[in-house]
Amino acid sequence: MASNPYLPHLATLLEVREETEDIKTFRLAFDDPEVASAWQYLPGQIALLSLFGVGEAAFSLSSAPLGQGWLEFSIRRMGKVTTALHQLEPGAKVGIRGPFGRGFPCELFRGHDLLVIGGGIGMAPLRSLVNYVLARRKEYGRLQIVYGARSSRQFCFREEIFSLWPQAPDTQVYLTVDCPEEGWEGHVGFVPDYVAEINPSPEGKYAVLCGPPIMIEKTIARLEERGFLPQHIYTTLEMRMKCGIGKCGRCNLGAKFVCLSGPVFSWAELKEEREKF
Amino acid sequence: MDYRVITQEKLPLFLSALRQSFLLAAPVEEEGEVYFRLLEDPSQVYLGPRPSRVPPKIFFFPPTEPLLRYRREGEKWEVFSAEQDPRPLILFGLRPCDLQSLKALDAVFLASPPDPYYAARRENTLLLGISCPEVGPGCFCVTYGYSPTTSEGADLHFTLLGKFYLVEVLTPRGKKLVQDYASFFAGETAGALEAKQSKEASLLAKFVAPPQLTGVKEKLPSLYHDPYWEELAWRCLGCGICTFLCPTCHCFDIFDRGEEEGERLRCWDTCLFKEFTLHTSGHNPRASLSARLRNRFYHKLLYHYERYGVEGCVGCGRCVVFCPVNIDIREVMVEVRRRGSSGF
Repeated sequence: MASNPYLPHLATLLEVREETEDIKTFRLAFDDPEVASAWQYLPGQIALLSLFGVGEAAFSLSSAPLGQGWLEFSIRRMGKVTTALHQLEPGAKVGIRGPFGRGFPCELFRGHDLLVIGGGIGMAPLRSLVNYVLARRKEYGRLQIVYGARSSRQFCFREEIFSLWPQAPDTQVYLTVDCPEEGWEGHVGFVPDYVAEINPSPEGKYAVLCGPPIMIEKTIARLEERGFLPQHIYTTLEMRMKCGIGKCGRCNLGAKFVCLSGPVFSWAELKEEREKF
Repeated sequence: MDYRVITQEKLPLFLSALRQSFLLAAPVEEEGEVYFRLLEDPSQVYLGPRPSRVPPKIFFFPPTEPLLRYRREGEKWEVFSAEQDPRPLILFGLRPCDLQSLKALDAVFLASPPDPYYAARRENTLLLGISCPEVGPGCFCVTYGYSPTTSEGADLHFTLLGKFYLVEVLTPRGKKLVQDYASFFAGETAGALEAKQSKEASLLAKFVAPPQLTGVKEKLPSLYHDPYWEELAWRCLGCGICTFLCPTCHCFDIFDRGEEEGERLRCWDTCLFKEFTLHTSGHNPRASLSARLRNRFYHKLLYHYERYGVEGCVGCGRCVVFCPVNIDIREVMVEVRRRGSSGF
């Protein structure tokens, strides 16, 4: 038989980090060194993780492709596959297929300022982008990161958002939580309102968003009010996926399949679509 | 093109002979319905007016099939492709719409990266088409610019003309077949081509007001927010029979069966079920039945063509005939042409 795109490559779970009460980051390395060196990805791309006997589900990579020899996925415990993943210990075997789809246009972003806006688990693919940019700091302009969570306990990547990123050159991190809480000195409020408050200038800047659909919709409205052009706004769509290769049909957005044409889209492209995500 | 003839009497003998070297599948009648089945006895072949209830896509894209197998030994997992029956298959009795539908499925499954299971079955199957003896109540192939006698896509195509069949030899594989089984065929086809043409003309005359395709694709975009889809969805049960019996529908789900040892299966799925697009978070981009029904018609009448340049509906009429609440894609096309505007 010709090569089988449904066959995952086996990988070993190296490390599990608890990010929040229901989000863990899984570090995985391919068992076959040839697969490991051939597997190239961009921030924003997705992969399908398999637990044999449980099932397969699509996730975006939360690590940046910096030649580490491993991949990371930051996953909230939600359904069948994610619950089983959350029970794994280092050494467990996981299948990986991918990378699929179109990642963030990092080449297009080069030389520009970036406004990265994440809500909840939506920060996972954006973490990949931020670390990719920070590894090439001089090639990109100012980096502003806005990250909202339901409460301060729900923030992922704590070392990065509280210490590593704020200390990086020409980088600001703006954190916000949905409701006031004891001990939280930072901003309180929803992401779209915080973005309006920060009042970013659209000049020479790309905005990149990921989060719940309602956050994306409202934040884009705030950005457009401030003069951001649709072609300077990028987002990555979560969509239920099964095959990852444009056959199974469920991730269609009009005539496009998100697994092939996405998950990253510019707002200019999404505006053309009649269907809402 | 090359032509042969075969008499009505010799056709079952030819099919019997084929069974020596091939698996043979053809329509048979079962409990009042017509189904494609692997044949033991070629005299059972159903050659009447009704199309098969379930389309012959089941031979290339079965309702359930393994995509891979897995096995655990201690801490090690073994994962490997599923095996396929290597025996070559002959499908006899494909209608022109069945043949056309394979173009729509090929566009999906053979697009890069090709689906290895579908590709292998297509490669391993010979297609023997047959002209329709009648025009059925749901039929509208003419809407798509072909007819009940169109042979496109077949290796060999049979048209009954009186007591013999005209056999069109359309591909090198078809040619090899008539050469290997030459004793069943005669080369004398005088008058047969003309007879086929007049048969086609008489069948075409039986279509009563088939829907027009002109303007459907152009006008659909303007109707995305039209209340029509909601009106239509009032009737719809969301049962999905239109998608399961559609010869071009290709959507599937994937799940694992077996814990330590088992298989990852794909099985037909339908865009009319709300779980189809339901996110784990609870968000559903197509939460309402009207949004799902609209997606189905847009997919059949517009998206598939936009994406692949191949029609996503072939006019076979199965969804028309088998819909329990009489939702009729032909009426949808008429409504789209009536309500829509193309200046969107």
